[in-house]
Amino acid sequence: MAGVMIVEDDATLRELLRESLERRNYTVITASNGREALIKFRPSVVDLVITDLLMPEEDGLMVIMKIREMKPSIRCIAISGGGKAGPGSYLLMASKLGADHVISKPFLPSELVKKVKEMIG
Amino acid sequence: MAVRGKKERKTTSAGGQGHDGSRRAAAQLAEMAGGIAHDLNTVITTIYGFSEQALESAGEQSGTATHIRKIISAADRVKMLTARLLSLSRRAADEKVTVRVTDILSDTIEFVKPSIPPGIKIIRKISAPEATIETIPVQLFRIFLNLIMNAVQAIEKKKGNIEITVDGPVNNKGNRPGKNDSFLLIRITDTGKGMDGPTIEKMFEPYFTKGSEQGTGLGLTVVNDALKDMGGTITVRSAQGHGTTVDMIIPHATFGAVSEKD
Repeated sequence: MAGVMIVEDDATLRELLRESLERRNYTVITASNGREALIKFRPSVVDLVITDLLMPEEDGLMVIMKIREMKPSIRCIAISGGGKAGPGSYLLMASKLGADHVISKPFLPSELVKKVKEMIG
Repeated sequence: MAVRGKKERKTTSAGGQGHDGSRRAAAQLAEMAGGIAHDLNTVITTIYGFSEQALESAGEQSGTATHIRKIISAADRVKMLTARLLSLSRRAADEKVTVRVTDILSDTIEFVKPSIPPGIKIIRKISAPEATIETIPVQLFRIFLNLIMNAVQAIEKKKGNIEITVDGPVNNKGNRPGKNDSFLLIRITDTGKGMDGPTIEKMFEPYFTKGSEQGTGLGLTVVNDALKDMGGTITVRSAQGHGTTVDMIIPHATFGAVSEKD
């Protein structure tokens, strides 16, 4: 069973994404910020990380870089609703720093789940 | 709706580089709108998600499904309104203004620095610290952002240098000037993996990418278009295994001290 980690500081969205993936039989680990993600990450369990970019306590860009150091084969999806600089700038940085796919909020969770299936089966 | 505090990077992208009070107000408005839009976009995503799940449970043909589709349509409308809010708030920040190039460069480096691997050094060689050009500040920010991030990506072993030169006045070939020249040279050189001939030929094509599947590509279409808007030119020198140098030559620069106005 493939494993996915969701890193998202909005509790409602985090639980929605967890439910959407668990219904499709993925093992899901969640974290509410980057620091928690790095503590909870298990290379043997997690095949793909979905991370928001703007979060307290270590942002998504650091998560992508550090998790890739721990497991170079990890797949990463970065999501962003933008902020002061607009989602485009953050997503550009994410794709240059190792994200395999980037998604701008708002998005249909079903599209995200479809992408996860394409990436890790 | 409260705008939640998030760890945020400094940026000038809202056009706050002028010293005029109304430009500062426009920059603050764009910043606030960005924060609100970020939170709204997250909420819209949860509305979409729970609506999709409800639609699945109710069955596509049920009476409930009709109501759920109306919820989704309403969320689509909020999405458009959010985009419009952002666009309106940024309109004032999209005017051409006189900007000091090194200010935008510093802001961009501040923005990217937390994300750059510690082994990559950014070295500034500034011979024209007071050089100014007329441009939309966020356009210049995007140019620097694209080129610096391309350089970071090219330095695959995570140890290397990115050298950024700001020099002028130069002539239209980037060399020390003859009479009346007022071109500015911005050069970004990296010690990354370099590019082969076919890649260099295609690099300005839209959607061309050598990186991730997303197709954000090398971003050079964005850079090229922004430079054309300034009347500038870009040339790229690169060889596989020997790094890359990008030269941008921008006309009508001024090189005196900037007078501060409030």
